[in-house]
Amino acid sequence: MEKISKNVRKVVDKIRKLYGESPDLNTRIIDIQGQKIGCLFFESSSQTSTISDFIIKAVDYTKDNLFDSLFDSLKNNMFNSQVIIIDDFSKFPYFLSSGFTIIVVENIDKAIVMETRAQLDRGVTESTTEPILRGSKDSFTESHSKNLGLLRKRIKDPNLWFSELKLGRRTQTRISLAYINDIADKNLVTKITKKLEKINIDGILDSGNLSDYLTENKSSFPQFQSTERPDIVCQALLAGKVVILVENCPFTIIVPTVFIDYFHTSEDEYQKSINISFTRILKIFAFIITLFTPAIYIAITTFDQNTVPDKLLISLAVQREGVPFPTAFEIILLMTIFEILRESDIRSPSGMSAAMSIVGALVLGQAAVDAGIVSPITVIIVAITSICSMIFTDIDFINGIRAWRFIFILAATFLGLIGIFSAGLILLIKLASLENYQTSFLSPFAPFNLTAQKDALVRFSIKNIFKRPKYISAKNQTRQRRSS
Amino acid sequence: MKKIFLIIFLCLFLSGCGNYAELDKLAIVTGVAIDKKGNDYEISYLVANSPKDQTSSKEGEAKTTVYSGTGKTIPDAAMVIEQKSPKKIYLGHVNVVIISEDIAKDGFFKVADWLFRSPETRKQFYLLQAKNDKAKDIIKIISPLESFPSQSIATLLESNRDSKSASTTTTYNNFVGYVLEEGADPILPTITIHGNIKKGSEQSNIETTEPTAYLTLGPLAIFKEDKLVGYATTKESELINLIQNKIKEIKFSLTFKNDALSIDSYNLKTKLSIEDESHITLTITGNGNIYNINSNIDISNPKEIKKIENLWNKSLQKSLKKLIRKMQDKYHADIFGFGNKIYSTYPKKWNQLKKDWNNKYFKEVKVKIKSNLKIPDTGSLKDTLTEARK
Repeated sequence: MEKISKNVRKVVDKIRKLYGESPDLNTRIIDIQGQKIGCLFFESSSQTSTISDFIIKAVDYTKDNLFDSLFDSLKNNMFNSQVIIIDDFSKFPYFLSSGFTIIVVENIDKAIVMETRAQLDRGVTESTTEPILRGSKDSFTESHSKNLGLLRKRIKDPNLWFSELKLGRRTQTRISLAYINDIADKNLVTKITKKLEKINIDGILDSGNLSDYLTENKSSFPQFQSTERPDIVCQALLAGKVVILVENCPFTIIVPTVFIDYFHTSEDEYQKSINISFTRILKIFAFIITLFTPAIYIAITTFDQNTVPDKLLISLAVQREGVPFPTAFEIILLMTIFEILRESDIRSPSGMSAAMSIVGALVLGQAAVDAGIVSPITVIIVAITSICSMIFTDIDFINGIRAWRFIFILAATFLGLIGIFSAGLILLIKLASLENYQTSFLSPFAPFNLTAQKDALVRFSIKNIFKRPKYISAKNQTRQRRSS
Repeated sequence: MKKIFLIIFLCLFLSGCGNYAELDKLAIVTGVAIDKKGNDYEISYLVANSPKDQTSSKEGEAKTTVYSGTGKTIPDAAMVIEQKSPKKIYLGHVNVVIISEDIAKDGFFKVADWLFRSPETRKQFYLLQAKNDKAKDIIKIISPLESFPSQSIATLLESNRDSKSASTTTTYNNFVGYVLEEGADPILPTITIHGNIKKGSEQSNIETTEPTAYLTLGPLAIFKEDKLVGYATTKESELINLIQNKIKEIKFSLTFKNDALSIDSYNLKTKLSIEDESHITLTITGNGNIYNINSNIDISNPKEIKKIENLWNKSLQKSLKKLIRKMQDKYHADIFGFGNKIYSTYPKKWNQLKKDWNNKYFKEVKVKIKSNLKIPDTGSLKDTLTEARK
């Protein structure tokens, strides 16, 4: 803690020096009946009209109606909802950079801080990364208070608690842990807080920075679900999970997350449960297809031809006729090209993506087959694989699948079906060994939890789900009471 | 962790891709024909995946090629083909194996070992015997309805098994199983070519509306152990299938009061029961519909139906007796598996019988035939048309 100097001019000079005489730092010294007050704010991050309307006017008003000491009068006359008194100089930069206005008074070692933030973020807009057909359309924004507001608006229970901490030596990013006090596991909250407090880094810019700190496991699959939809967050909160919101980042992290969560969407609760069950099973199929198809194709065409029906094998053999590359190379080549195409499509401005899709579809698909560089079946395999991977919304999850897909391809190239099964076993062991905050990644299947099956692979009607899943939080499990 | 990576690394790179084979480097054999040429063996492979030409290969169509080789032994002959074929011969998808009459008479086991021993081949392919023609010619005949010959033979077998009661399918496994089984002898479907063999193997055969050559299934071949002893007629084939409980429906033609009468039977069931080692009872139950009748009778009369039932039962019993007699006296082949039934009921007695079963004891088996066939329905016409005219 650093004391605030009683000399206004000294304080102002110190701040100016601290910011390297930055031109957007506005310092103003006003003389009120012989007593100097200093007014400090950043033009860039504050709303200057608010400052002139409320602060300067208040100062002006105080000039004529001075009954108490100057400091108390100023404090009482401020027309602002957020007036803070601080006596620590080291807090000045944080408030100034956040868009606050600081008033220091001659001979007083305290300062008045007022919220005069400028609207530097966009409004609440529709989610672009997780589009849905049914459900609320709003999404989180870069504004931390707006994000918290979106949650408060949905859960009016006073038990919705936010605990806040600041991370990043330079960025001083606000991190909020949201949880429902009487549902969430307190241990989980303290553990997460402890982990986060240990972080000593210069800057946290996105919630993605935090995921790696929160987990102890190494895996290509993401360990924590991330979403920009407030309704998904509220569903997680109501299930007893803890949600981490990071300032200036619309994506939140949900802890704990299990494997099957990536197969669920927020819509699951809003649509008919029987249809959702069908969709979920479809997604499981898609997961298996996208993981195994290229590997199995390689295995059955180069090692285990015995497993293919006659007509299919002959059709495959004839298609491969004249292709110059070995099957495995052909698949890896096309898969790589597809991954490049996908990556460049995300990065390119929207005007260019039309050209990209034409090149991708015509040149890489049709022309490559016509030229005899790849066989048509390979194009089909790669297409099926990539379409099935797009069924998931979490990009980390898609990339996790991709990593394993290439492992399977390699295993199939060298060992055939035996290789695929061995690699599959390794994947299963790997997934089963993942554990975060005492929640196993494969819950509720391993360890098996019968009541949680109502909302896992299939979904029962909301009428029949009475308990919250035990693997998330053991306390206060009743979600719904049987209506008598 | 390092150790695990090392193990994975070694697994991948030291395994040496044991049975690695690119698909386009394989000659996929779908049919095998085994003939005898003098004292030598001639085998022919039907390779299914030679591309038609540069343009149509993309449509997944294939032309077939037949490679054949002659040698003193079967492996010798196979070696000749290996030398002829530019691609590696792959026997994993053999669908149909056709043996010639000579091979069948000589004993199938002489040639069977080679296919059975190869780990590559499936043992579920269909086994057929070529009647009158060379086995090689049969796999050459191109059928207009299927993309390659072995496939057309397999489809022909399957559709006939399902629709016609005179035919059957025997897989390689089945056949060998029957031969090795105690007290049972196998049967094989036969196949013959109708028309010009040479034209049938040309592409033009499938370009005309009426193929000049086509394949048909012949009567069943009767084997004693692994050797061919004779053929059954179509009518007999049906009855063999009936005794073996392989079919449920047979169309019977009877002569009733000097007029033709056809019965479409269904739910046929045969029960083989055994009294002692020389007395066997066959019980046949089932129902039938009258499906063609011209005689001048009133079939709405239950008494007339009873008469027809009696006639049907008697004629079936008579023909079955005749068939069994023929097997016992002429072929000495226990294709019905009577011996096997004795073996499973009286294993001790069987040990004494088994040496001379085919030649002595099988002949002495007294077969009693009971049948209980009923006609519950006369079709959608109440009277016969001749009757209605009156």
